[in-house]
Amino acid sequence: MIIKDYCLYCGACAGVCQVDAIEVKEVKIVIDEEKCVNCGICVKICPVNALEM
Amino acid sequence: MDINTDILVVGAGPAGSLAAREAARRGVDVLLIELKSEIGSPKRCAEGVSKSGLLELGIQPDPRWIARKSNGVRLVSPDQTSVWLSEDTIELPESGYVLERKVFDKHMAMDAARAGAKIMVRTQATSLERVDNGVIVTAIHMDEEIKIHAKIVIAADGPSSRVGRWAGLDSNTKTENMESCIQYEMAGVNMVNNNVIQLYFGSCAPGGYAWIFPKGEDIANVGLGVLKTHADRPAYEYLNEFIENCPETKDAQAVEVNVGGDPVGGLVKERCGDNILVVGDAAGFVNPLTGGGINTALESGVYAGIVAAQAIDDGDYSKKNLEEYVKLTDEHIGESYDKYKKAKEYLLSLSDDELNKIAHEFVKVDIDEISPKTLIKVLIKVSPKALLKLGKLF
Ligand SMILES: Cc1cc2nc3c(=O)[nH]c(=O)nc-3n(C[C@H](O)[C@H](O)[C@H](O)COP(=O)(O)OP(=O)(O)OC[C@H]3O[C@@H](n4cnc5c(N)ncnc54)[C@H](O)[C@@H]3O)c2cc1C
Ligand code: SF4
Ligand code: SF4
Repeated sequence: MIIKDYCLYCGACAGVCQVDAIEVKEVKIVIDEEKCVNCGICVKICPVNALEM
Repeated sequence: MDINTDILVVGAGPAGSLAAREAARRGVDVLLIELKSEIGSPKRCAEGVSKSGLLELGIQPDPRWIARKSNGVRLVSPDQTSVWLSEDTIELPESGYVLERKVFDKHMAMDAARAGAKIMVRTQATSLERVDNGVIVTAIHMDEEIKIHAKIVIAADGPSSRVGRWAGLDSNTKTENMESCIQYEMAGVNMVNNNVIQLYFGSCAPGGYAWIFPKGEDIANVGLGVLKTHADRPAYEYLNEFIENCPETKDAQAVEVNVGGDPVGGLVKERCGDNILVVGDAAGFVNPLTGGGINTALESGVYAGIVAAQAIDDGDYSKKNLEEYVKLTDEHIGESYDKYKKAKEYLLSLSDDELNKIAHEFVKVDIDEISPKTLIKVLIKVSPKALLKLGKLF
């Protein structure tokens, strides 16, 4: 998963990730690639298109 | 560092701060942690709130966090037909004040502090483990890892909610229920009426709506939410288009951009378990029709604070003893959600043409005669399927 620099750390992606693979910090998000099942839901929900598979 | 507390509240949004305030008022130990370095900032909200809803919770209006008062709503159909509803004739949810949430949220946390709660900012919960008679939440405070032993944890971690899931609750938000939202705070907005909140419906925001909420003479939050089941592009593309096409915003300039998720699918399956309560957005306390969640975050926080403090007094932190919270929130908040959900489903089933037709009919109704009943009557006249979807509800 590529996280673009213009991510705004809103956590919408973390809220919908069904396997709880996304951690939201104040100015950073971290995706646990081992937990991620590549469903693409987070990519779709992002209001600014900051994620790319 | 190890910390012991009766109640740990994770997240200092409106829900967390009110939960902390209510519990601390009852004399129990409360720790409120917030991952951000500044409570309330950045805002992820259009800031519309119900005036009476605040008063009911004992929150006295303070000019420091009220950006503007609003006295009605303008509903705009795709062909720009306006339907005006006044607060005097119809009860409008999330209407009365447009807040300055960066100040409001901070003030709510300050009230919690005054009631006796301890607060730690820039402190992020990272995991939860169950132990005898409580939970241990690991958190990162600045560069330090801390272990917080609590008898009860109140998960107030907003739409990105994870704490409930860590505790084993089925409190997930489904993608089809999460509005993907974006907003600019803008100056130079030419509002037709800068004392009402404005909602724009139709294909400008598939699965949601666009809004203009006034914060000053020419200042407004301009944003929209879309559902991924209805939209085929990211929210920001829709918003940029909306701003370009809307006569009120085409010359306005953004001074801030906000994004966020708004869970509009109604309550999560489980908002209570042994040693845990889930409040606010994390529990789905958002009006499914409007997406408004400030008032209900505050209210659910109050009930959680009261019930958790009582459980500490009882020395019983079991799910059974905490279930009073579910009862209270069902009774006072949750019961209306089915109705709003149905109304939303109906709204989303309408094409731009149908929305225009309905608006044309509404415009003919004498403004003084507008009540929910007359509106439904008119609606059923132009849109027979409304009877099927809404008839029994209102
Ligand atoms: C664009 C947009 C517009 C909206 N407009 C309106 C509106 O006009 N009116 C209205 O009523 N509602 C509106 N809402 C909804 C409203 O913002 C929410 O319902 C409300 O903020 C919910 O309050 P809360 O306390 O539950 O969560 P939040 O306000 O989200 O607070 C949660 C807090 O928890 C913190 N947190 C999260 N995880 C952790 C962790 N692991 N450790 C520590 N802290 C953590 C977060 O940093 C945050 O401060 C809007 C939402 C969006 C996205
Ligand atoms: S939804 Fe987008 S902007 Fe928000 S935290 Fe996730 S990647 Fe970043
Ligand atoms: S692709 Fe799916 S599983 Fe992976 S982080 Fe995104 S939402 Fe989670």
